[in-house]
Amino acid sequence: MPAYLLLLPILLPLVSGALLYFLGRRFYGRRRVLVAVTVCLNTLLTWALILFCGEESFRILNLVWDLEITLRFDGFGRFFAGLVATLWPLTTFYGFGYMDREHHKNLYYAFFTMSFGVTLGVAMSGNLLTLYVFYELLTLVTVPLVMHKMTRKAVRAARIYLAFSIGGAAFAFIGILYLAANGVDLAFLPGGSVRPGGSDGMFRLIYLIAFLGFGVKAAIFPMHRWLPEAAVAPTPVTALLHAVAVVKSGAFAIIRLTYYCYGTDLLAGSWAQTAALCFAMVTILYGSYMSLRQAHWKRRLAYSTVSNLSYVVFGALLMTPVGLTGSLLHMLFHAVIKILGFFCVGAVLCNTGREYVTQLEGMGRRMPVTFVCFTVSALALTGIPPLPGFFSKWALLTAAPDAQSAAAPFGTAVLLVSAFLTAMYMIPTAVRAFFPSRDADLAGLDGVREVSPVMWVPMAILAAMTVALGLAAGPLSDFVSGLAASAF
Amino acid sequence: MSFVLNFPAVSIVLSLAASVASVAARRWAKQISCLVVVLGMAMSAAVLAYTASAGAAFTYVMGQAPAPWGNELRIGILEPLFALLFGLVLLLCILSGETTLSEKADPKKRYLFFVLCDLIQASLFALCYTNDLFTSYVFIEICTIASSGILMIRDNGPTATAATRYMIFSLVGSSLFLLGVIMLYGVTGHLLMEPLRKAVASVWAAGTYRLPLRVIIVLLVVGLGIKSGLFPFHFWMADTYGTSLPGAAGILSGIVSKGYIFLLLKLVHRVIGPDVFYASGAQNVLFLFGVLGMIVGSISAIHTSDVRHMIAYSSAAQIGYIYMGVGISPALGTVAALFHVLTHALTKPALFLSASRLADVSGGSNDFHALQGSAHRNRVAGIVFSVGSMSMVGIPAFMGFISKIQFALAGAQAGAKMLPTFIALAVSTVLNVLYFMRTVIRIYTPAPEQGEHVVRARQQLVFDGTALCFIGLNVAIGLFSQPVIELLGRGLALLG
Amino acid sequence: MTLTLFLLTVVLPVLAGALLPLLRPGRRVLRAYVAAVTAVVLAAAIAAALHAPARLSLWRVSDALDIAFSVDPASRVFSLLAAGLWLPVGVYAFSYMAHEEREARFFGFYLMAEGALLGMDYAANLVAMYFLFELVTFSSLPLVFHTQSREALAAGLKYLYYSVGGAFLGLLGVVFLTRYAAGLDFVPGGGLLDGAGNRPLLLAVVFAAVVGFSAKAGLYPLHGWLPTAHPAAPAPASAVLSAVIAKAGVLAVLRLLYYVVGPGYLRGTWVQYALLALALLTVFMGSMMAYRENGLKKRLAWSTVSQISYILTGLFLLTAQGLVGGLLHTLFHAVIKTGLFLVAGAVIVRTGRTRVDELRGIGRRMPGSLWGFALLSLALVGIPPFSGFVSKWALAEAALDGGPGALAWLVPVVLLVSALLTAGYLLPIVTRGFFPGRDLPFDCVAAEAGPAMLVPILLTAVLSLALGVGAGPLTDALTAAFAGIGG
Repeated sequence: MPAYLLLLPILLPLVSGALLYFLGRRFYGRRRVLVAVTVCLNTLLTWALILFCGEESFRILNLVWDLEITLRFDGFGRFFAGLVATLWPLTTFYGFGYMDREHHKNLYYAFFTMSFGVTLGVAMSGNLLTLYVFYELLTLVTVPLVMHKMTRKAVRAARIYLAFSIGGAAFAFIGILYLAANGVDLAFLPGGSVRPGGSDGMFRLIYLIAFLGFGVKAAIFPMHRWLPEAAVAPTPVTALLHAVAVVKSGAFAIIRLTYYCYGTDLLAGSWAQTAALCFAMVTILYGSYMSLRQAHWKRRLAYSTVSNLSYVVFGALLMTPVGLTGSLLHMLFHAVIKILGFFCVGAVLCNTGREYVTQLEGMGRRMPVTFVCFTVSALALTGIPPLPGFFSKWALLTAAPDAQSAAAPFGTAVLLVSAFLTAMYMIPTAVRAFFPSRDADLAGLDGVREVSPVMWVPMAILAAMTVALGLAAGPLSDFVSGLAASAF
Repeated sequence: MSFVLNFPAVSIVLSLAASVASVAARRWAKQISCLVVVLGMAMSAAVLAYTASAGAAFTYVMGQAPAPWGNELRIGILEPLFALLFGLVLLLCILSGETTLSEKADPKKRYLFFVLCDLIQASLFALCYTNDLFTSYVFIEICTIASSGILMIRDNGPTATAATRYMIFSLVGSSLFLLGVIMLYGVTGHLLMEPLRKAVASVWAAGTYRLPLRVIIVLLVVGLGIKSGLFPFHFWMADTYGTSLPGAAGILSGIVSKGYIFLLLKLVHRVIGPDVFYASGAQNVLFLFGVLGMIVGSISAIHTSDVRHMIAYSSAAQIGYIYMGVGISPALGTVAALFHVLTHALTKPALFLSASRLADVSGGSNDFHALQGSAHRNRVAGIVFSVGSMSMVGIPAFMGFISKIQFALAGAQAGAKMLPTFIALAVSTVLNVLYFMRTVIRIYTPAPEQGEHVVRARQQLVFDGTALCFIGLNVAIGLFSQPVIELLGRGLALLG
Repeated sequence: MTLTLFLLTVVLPVLAGALLPLLRPGRRVLRAYVAAVTAVVLAAAIAAALHAPARLSLWRVSDALDIAFSVDPASRVFSLLAAGLWLPVGVYAFSYMAHEEREARFFGFYLMAEGALLGMDYAANLVAMYFLFELVTFSSLPLVFHTQSREALAAGLKYLYYSVGGAFLGLLGVVFLTRYAAGLDFVPGGGLLDGAGNRPLLLAVVFAAVVGFSAKAGLYPLHGWLPTAHPAAPAPASAVLSAVIAKAGVLAVLRLLYYVVGPGYLRGTWVQYALLALALLTVFMGSMMAYRENGLKKRLAWSTVSQISYILTGLFLLTAQGLVGGLLHTLFHAVIKTGLFLVAGAVIVRTGRTRVDELRGIGRRMPGSLWGFALLSLALVGIPPFSGFVSKWALAEAALDGGPGALAWLVPVVLLVSALLTAGYLLPIVTRGFFPGRDLPFDCVAAEAGPAMLVPILLTAVLSLALGVGAGPLTDALTAAFAGIGG
């Protein structure tokens, strides 16, 4: 299939979303159909392209000098696109059920759909500049979603998100332009394009700046603040965008920068790698620690995302094939696991309005599907075999001692401490739901029922996916290893 | 010599004539203005096409007396290009500012607005084309007075104060400029730019009058800097732009300040010469003040709660970008600065005009909090404001992004200035986001209770049309900027 | 390990247990179900022990991650122990749990825990063992939670944290050692690749891993969960926790020291000294705390803390003799402590009393139980000819023969002191139970425990005597099986 078809899955949701925004109010009843059809069609289209598209690049336009906007679908891009495309329809259907009780639905449907196209644009970018463009667009198109509730808190969260994101991108921009000005090819090539030579020190400094710039979206400490604030958005938004699309785009961008733009020759073993690793490790611990301190369920999971994203970044920064394998596996696993977790939170929120973990005692009997799914998510996230979280952590743990940086072996301890903290902040919630204390007040639970099928079916599917991913860890690891090896 | 080369002189004379005619035929003042502007644009476009294809600059002698006594115009690529730009923005401002004009100004004085616009057009064209220092000074003064005039159209207390303040500062700037011209004449004995260049070069090389030359450079730069709003002379901008008619604010911030900058660039390249200028150390000062302006302007913008003041401070910041570019290098940096002149001229008026429309549907208040939800009440204005903001911040697909790229590329090749440039660009982007995007979010946040729904006011169609022009140009050049950049590069080479 | 036997010993109980809460059977059906499953498992375990089956690779994820099972001497010991105790305790539990709610849930997890334990016993490499170790934790967790009282929930969470935290420390070791071990599977005598890696780092890792896995075995400083979990759980659960589940920690340590790293690598190093010090400290501390504790089950829990560290002491001696001593005590302590907890449970059911000072004169009402308690106490203290004596003697001997440096003589001293304390915290219960003195506070008209409870109690008491008498052949068999392991 020719490469220009890559434009289709990007444009279709954008057009559809724009239509919804301007004409949505007239379509009242049929809005959902349009959204569902668009999303599902787009997913199919994306998968068709993943399987059959050629590897050549397609130039959309030449911006200025030799800076071009191009699309190209390589292995890594397909991996990310596949992940995103599979999870979007599930979230869409879940969203139908969830948003029933909310206002401003038009805004939600329109921008939710548009985000799909833009995220795919990120996946399909053929060079660093294109990635940057879609990256900025992603920020813009998700801000209305964060702001959705239009309360003071929501607006404030949107402002913080916007400021951090564009600010981060501004610093990443420096990196991109420096590379362009110094004749480095911005196109994504396995093994990168920066060779050790004259101004190594400067290149490494610029790498660190760009890393921190992209790291804002990847919620690296201390630029992570926007993520817990964004938890104020409706749950489908938090689940998909802030556990998958937006934050994973940040990690995706960092991996692209490190492996496909710079290449590990210049960076492995350098002070830049060590510095970046330190940021990742601090974030892992900080995120886990803050999760523990949150009583608000959604914010707890948001901080957990902060921590887990840095697992992915940590793995990528190890700059070894095994490290990258662990990173990619965790990118995949965490996406599924965390979406599932957020869905459960949303289900409870939707049905009972309860937001705090202390309010969940005994709910397991009332909402069994929800809490069984949450238990699966909790165990998987902690890394209990045979659920998938174990395998990605295993890869990261075994890769850490081999990396060239002096800081890497500490990562083993950091990962294990974080895993322990994860057990502490995820599992007790599941326990209390199913084993309420004898003298707990369960009268308040009268009338609480399980959510509607349009919400629990996606949850069940995700839970099944989680288990399946764990059981399929063998072939999956092999596939991802191949993918990782091809990046060097 | 082609017939086309008469056009610049014709366009200047035409504008002057139109201003006189408008005084006489008051009822037709607006139509005369628009016609003259359109004609001026057409003529500039023709000249540009001619010089661009010819690839050379031409000198046009006015009157019969040869140099160094007579008067000259010099027509390259940049001159008609910027004349065209100024004409375009002037037209758009006149058209879209009309509503407010008719609502807020004294009906008997309305025609004066157009008269003054004609004068501004004449002076800006003259500043673009002239090859003579004294002529520049004359038209600078005409421009100053005309600008102060359109500020005063509204004729109430704050406006009068603001206009007076503007006039005083402007005159200080002009005086410094005049002093510089006089000293230069004293040192070299010339007023025409070409001979001046040779004279200055020889004086510098001889090493005799280095200090006076430095002083001259300072006077010229500071003089024009004050008038265009370079840090630390930017503080008159807030009140001036804040209280005037939006059309006036658009004209002043969009093109008048740019006229002075263009003149400064002509001076640097054609009078002092880039070698002398960039060896004198003046470029470092420009760079420093440019960067400071970028930062301080944005910080001031963050702290104000009046949206017009915010846009005005933003102008200070954007002028800072331009001067930073000039300070970086004579080639790549100045091209970046020129492109940013283009960007700012096309964006800032749009911001002022849309902000005023938004204020109109918010009970006439410019206060930040009153504007909440206004984008839902006037959709087109909201979109224009958002596009303008995104261009200022530097979101890809808009001109501002290309500006940033140009500045960064120029900075990357500037040795020691690279890191400060990068950091300044990044920090400035962040600051811009803080106040622009905050406002964009606010205008889209629904207001607690719906205010008056002013939908489809009479002149909305005209506003929509001009808005579309602004946005369209911004996006078009944002996406397809390469030809424009190349043209600027070629033009710059021909400037000296 | 053939597939059938594996299915019967591991998969069957896990699945049966998982299904049980969903089926919601009546009480009779429930009991029959549980009894049947545990009986089948026992039979299968015996068959597996007698067999000499080949290695079964259940799930191969990659070269390093190969979940495989096989039967070797260590497996035999632990699996027979688990399967052997699970049935009688299960029968006891029928009667005990009649007084609690949610029986189906309890027995469901009871069965799952059995399957997990047996799986862990049969694991053929560190990774498989780690997998099953986690499963053991999570399947036994609901047993602690069962009563859903505040204490039970708090205790359960504590158990969770300690176990999971310890397991992650152990995982640290697993990660490092799978790279440096001579073979990925368990090899008797272990053996790291020569010149492998950074020795100080590896020593530190091994130390951390052992401490981590020992959390399940209640080694100081990770013993904190034991004294809270045991009193909170129902008595049959406490019994298996002490007797078998805690031994999972022992098994993990055993595998790590003797089948992966190899005793030779560690003998004489700071790791051995440190571990022995911790173990001896725990022995003493456990006994001391038991002596001072007034709650019966908690006293028994502290006793477990102490006694399991006897076993660990034996293991940390890093000689075949020490290992054999440790294994003997594993078996004997399991039987004894089971019995003791069963008695405690019977007392709670019949009289509702949980504190030691409330038990004066109980001999009148529940003579059978108290006789059983008496015999078991003698065994635990180490009075010949009871089994406890044999294992303690073996441990002391092993220490004197092969212990490192100064600790060689310290071990028997500590064991002796602990024995005295053991006497101090167990025997008075018996004496005061039978001879309460003139002012008899006992006014409760309680009767003896039912046969379902009494029989298992007496069984364990008799067994602890029999094992002691017939210890000779057992010791020889063990010594032969683990001959070459000292390395």
